[in-house]
Amino acid sequence: MTVSAVLPRATGVRHITGLRLALGAAALLALAVFPVLVPNPYYVHLAALIAIYSVLLLGLDIVVGYTGEVSLGHASLFGVGSYTVGVLVFKLAAPFWVTLPAAIAITALAGALLALPALRVTGPYLAMVTLAFGTIVQILINEMDFLTSGPLGISLRKPAIFGHTLSASQYYYFVVAALCLTLLVVHRILRSHLGRAFEALRDSPVASDCMGVSVYRYKVYAFVISAALAGFAGGLFTYSEEYISPNTYSIELAIQFLLAVIMGGRKTRSGPVLGAAIVVMLPNLLSDLELFRSLALGLAVVVTSYAGYALLTRRRRLHELWVPVTLLIGMVIFSYGIEDMTDYRLTIFGLMILLVIYYLPDGIVGFVRSIAQQWRLRLAARTRVRHELQALQRAAGMAQPGHAAAPAPASPGPGTAAAHAQAAIHAGAPAADAPANILEVDEVLVQFGGLTALNRVRLQVARNAVHGLIGPNGSGKSTMMNVLTGIYRPTAGSIRFEGKSIGGRSSAQIAAAGIARTFQNVQLFGEMSVTENVLVGLHHSFASTLLDVLLHTPRYQREAQGARERAASILAFMGLAAFADEEARNLPYGKQRLLEIGRALALDPHLLLLDEPAAGLTAPDIIELTAIIRKIREHGLTLILIEHHMDVVMGICDRVSVLDFGNKIAEGDPAQVQSDPRVIEAYLGGTLESVGGVEPTAAGGA
Amino acid sequence: MLQVRELIAGYGKVQVLHGISLDVPKGRLVTLIGSNGAGKTTTMRAISGMIRPSAGHISLAGREIAGLASHRVSGLGLAHSPEGRRVFPSLSVSDNLTLGAFPRLTYRRPRGDVDADRERIFEMFPRLRERRHQAAGTLSGGEQQMLAMGRALMLNPEVLLLDEPSMGLAPRLVGEVFRTLEQLKAQGITMLLVEQFAAAALHVADYGYVLENGRIAAHGPAAELRDNPAVRAAYLGAAH
Amino acid sequence: MEIFFQLAVSGVALGMIYAVIAFGYQLTFATSRTLNFGQGEALMLGALTGLSLAGQVGYWLMIPVVLVFGALQGYVVERLGVAPAIKSKSEFGWIMSTIALGIIFRNTAENIWGKDDLKFPSPLPESPLTVLGVHVLPMEILVVVGALLMMFAVEIFNRRSIYGKAVVATSNDRDAAGLMGINTGIVISFSYALSSLTAALAGVLVAPLTLTGASMGAVLGLKAFAVAIIGGLNSGLGVIVGGLILGIAETTTGYYLSTGYKDVPGLVLLLVVLAFKPAGLFGTLAIKKV
Repeated sequence: MTVSAVLPRATGVRHITGLRLALGAAALLALAVFPVLVPNPYYVHLAALIAIYSVLLLGLDIVVGYTGEVSLGHASLFGVGSYTVGVLVFKLAAPFWVTLPAAIAITALAGALLALPALRVTGPYLAMVTLAFGTIVQILINEMDFLTSGPLGISLRKPAIFGHTLSASQYYYFVVAALCLTLLVVHRILRSHLGRAFEALRDSPVASDCMGVSVYRYKVYAFVISAALAGFAGGLFTYSEEYISPNTYSIELAIQFLLAVIMGGRKTRSGPVLGAAIVVMLPNLLSDLELFRSLALGLAVVVTSYAGYALLTRRRRLHELWVPVTLLIGMVIFSYGIEDMTDYRLTIFGLMILLVIYYLPDGIVGFVRSIAQQWRLRLAARTRVRHELQALQRAAGMAQPGHAAAPAPASPGPGTAAAHAQAAIHAGAPAADAPANILEVDEVLVQFGGLTALNRVRLQVARNAVHGLIGPNGSGKSTMMNVLTGIYRPTAGSIRFEGKSIGGRSSAQIAAAGIARTFQNVQLFGEMSVTENVLVGLHHSFASTLLDVLLHTPRYQREAQGARERAASILAFMGLAAFADEEARNLPYGKQRLLEIGRALALDPHLLLLDEPAAGLTAPDIIELTAIIRKIREHGLTLILIEHHMDVVMGICDRVSVLDFGNKIAEGDPAQVQSDPRVIEAYLGGTLESVGGVEPTAAGGA
Repeated sequence: MLQVRELIAGYGKVQVLHGISLDVPKGRLVTLIGSNGAGKTTTMRAISGMIRPSAGHISLAGREIAGLASHRVSGLGLAHSPEGRRVFPSLSVSDNLTLGAFPRLTYRRPRGDVDADRERIFEMFPRLRERRHQAAGTLSGGEQQMLAMGRALMLNPEVLLLDEPSMGLAPRLVGEVFRTLEQLKAQGITMLLVEQFAAAALHVADYGYVLENGRIAAHGPAAELRDNPAVRAAYLGAAH
Repeated sequence: MEIFFQLAVSGVALGMIYAVIAFGYQLTFATSRTLNFGQGEALMLGALTGLSLAGQVGYWLMIPVVLVFGALQGYVVERLGVAPAIKSKSEFGWIMSTIALGIIFRNTAENIWGKDDLKFPSPLPESPLTVLGVHVLPMEILVVVGALLMMFAVEIFNRRSIYGKAVVATSNDRDAAGLMGINTGIVISFSYALSSLTAALAGVLVAPLTLTGASMGAVLGLKAFAVAIIGGLNSGLGVIVGGLILGIAETTTGYYLSTGYKDVPGLVLLLVVLAFKPAGLFGTLAIKKV
């Protein structure tokens, strides 16, 4: 059985399948004919509003869905864009092809002003800052009435194209075109190396930094892009409403935007549009009591029946179910108890947020997709069982030797393997005057408060060597790793890599300089596919700017294609080609470790640091690992290996350094080190006499 | 007093312990040794409730505790001095010790005389008495280790778990730690000791278990294990 | 110059209110790394409940009841909004759910007490005292004294009582606290109850000085955010200093520029502090080990 038949169809595959294309085309068609089918201007206006909100929400999804930050300021960014258009039209009678780009630019600038300070530290700071911003903007709009007419608001007309002012339904098409443009823009960004960077920094910030993707920088980019889109939406909104006033851009609106993104479904294109529709229709829904009652009742009945079913069939336990069921039943009772919805709008709104946060974390679109996924898996499992039965029957039917039950998958010939390796590793020849030692650690001291983790350690690693670093727990090995990759800053001493000093530089800079690493606790980008993980490592190979990405210039296409090919070579080199589209978190543990190494190779490093790569691996995995390490070395890289598995270390290392209590206590080839009494003592502790001058006690009987 | 049977535990995808069993009889010092990554700390954490085992049984004085939260296991009389010491850095030495007796002060364990017990700890560790009002975060590594052990003792535990008390300590201090263990043994305290320093641990222990890749590779009276080649192999590789 | 002192003195009372609310943020952030985005609503509920009760039993007797009510409210927020999010390690979760609960509380308050602002009868004489040429309302003095007493009481609790030490232990190291037999889940619930209690107290202190209504909490909660960040999320002294800085900045801006702009210094200071010293003026950043 080939691997791909055993594993279910990859969930992480994001290329556009035929079904999606058909759905998208149908949706576009529906959008196009809508004003013809429903000529009521009220509904046309609502539809335009849904499209406008969608533009904003597609941007908000980048911040919330991809980078995982909470922004409570998008209503105010919306307002900034809105008022930019309003003021430019009111004061300067500027045309739309000036006002809309201006709205985008100014709102993006505002976004940068917020994001640059707020994202420097992890924590709820962006939420707090954007909340404050949200309040300020409303106040400023009110106060700066010399510019904005304050609470009086601004009135204007729809944009004019070639002298003809657009009508309501013509403007509708204008907005739909804007939405399509936004969809294209967002799609291109998120499918590119930029989108991968956004996802990566959420899945594992530390690995991102070490892969050269600076978490801070990309979070800021994400926020600025979303601000630009919010500004665009704001500008469109102004023309759509033909009257704007400060009250619109309130915190309530900001919260509605957040609810829309999570309820629709994060990390999708359809989720934000669905969310926009829900939020726009929400006031209508919440003012029609009868409708609300029926919906609440319907939902309660469905959920309660499911709960009963789940309890009876033992799929769920009582304590998991009682909260949502009680809440929904409470909502039904509540809906029949009140006479007027408007007073309770906000309460219902708050309850919706709570329910969505806990019970629909991937939104409606995500929920639908996961159900579809489960059906697909079940189908695949049934097919697989059927195939296995057939294979068994065939095997039973032909018990003679010489009949193979199924052909073995063709193994790649030696020629292709070499070609892959060539493509996978770009070590290149060292420069003529390059120092013999690729890494020189000189008297490095690392102290945390009163604790000395590394005590003036000197280490030289020869080019193209496999250098082992061993020592008991707490000896400083991980500290050394972290100081070499910029996670810690040395208190004193110098580190020279390829002759250049790297002590104190950031992780992203060190990655760019040519040092790559893996982690003790595997730090993969779990929700991304195997190929995408490697592509993040290849981030450095993209010189394309945002513009290149948006316009799909030849340069970008070349780089994207090159990256994909290179990623495929690396996966082939690591023996992971069969898993290419699988989500990284679904891989067996041994393969995850190999993937981490492959991702590190994508950085084109000259020095590869492996942090306990054999930890948790079974014996066959370890054999595979040592073979890979040898192959990597054969292609010109230098490796430093931290490991506890002595067999691994002794088997492949040329040279071994031993740390103990932050000091280097021995160094030499593996056999020397293994029989060095100081090393034995460091690990086994020798006897108590050698340790602290104490008599050994009379051996206590068991 | 403490019995572990077929314990299976791990972190997420990685299963670290593949079914281990061990016994800590009352009044004895049992040691669990093995190289890093073998699963020693995982074993301790599963016993004290810091992580939840996937399968297996753990019983303390006859009572099943596998899967209980750590504060409940502590309330039943099992004290754990964790890897890395984990003293409370912003509280004073004295307060750290007092907190060790938390279940006694909140009536889940027999109260006894907490102040007298604290004095006894100070007698055992005179340096702590000198620094009794200092914030624990300012203590040296060795002093923090003494504090962690003293804090665990303040529970008057049925069983005391000690996770790598010698880690990161200068050699002279390591000797002090083991001397303390001798004292505790003489007082009849039931202990399970996890150590990287196999030789010293086997010197002070009554019985030992050797953990390798999540399984018990060898066990026996400590004196016998000291000469057992399996021990060396577990640390330094079979080639040795 | 005299005006400046007057502004400064008014700023102090205002700043102390901010400080007390920010103190509430610190309590929960210390033990659980989360905070209540609906803290302003806790203050508002305290003030309005206090108003209704004060009509029955008078100001001073009403206070303990309001404190108990505040504690209960905090407990509910923690159970419904925060505990599930901590369990699923979702930062987004507790931010949104505390906001949602805040919205629900606010709407409920609107339905019970109406949307208009009400006058809270002052327990102390309303005529200002004159100290060194500056007018001070007795209520303002009560605010400062009450706020300081509250923070002081919590400090004493943390240092003296075993339960207080258990709370500090949980903030230091949650796992190790569990090993001591401390039920850290209860500690976190307790810190939320205490946090809302302090907010409710702030509510009954500030209510006589300003308009009392369902919308009074939102802006106060927000300013307290700024104070918490300026002072540092883990420094008690920091929030007091931060509160004073912001309070005085606001009263002076309101006078010298225009009342409309008085909310702006908060945001500006917030951005400046985050840009140059993200841990806050008195705060410390934790080292992250990999």
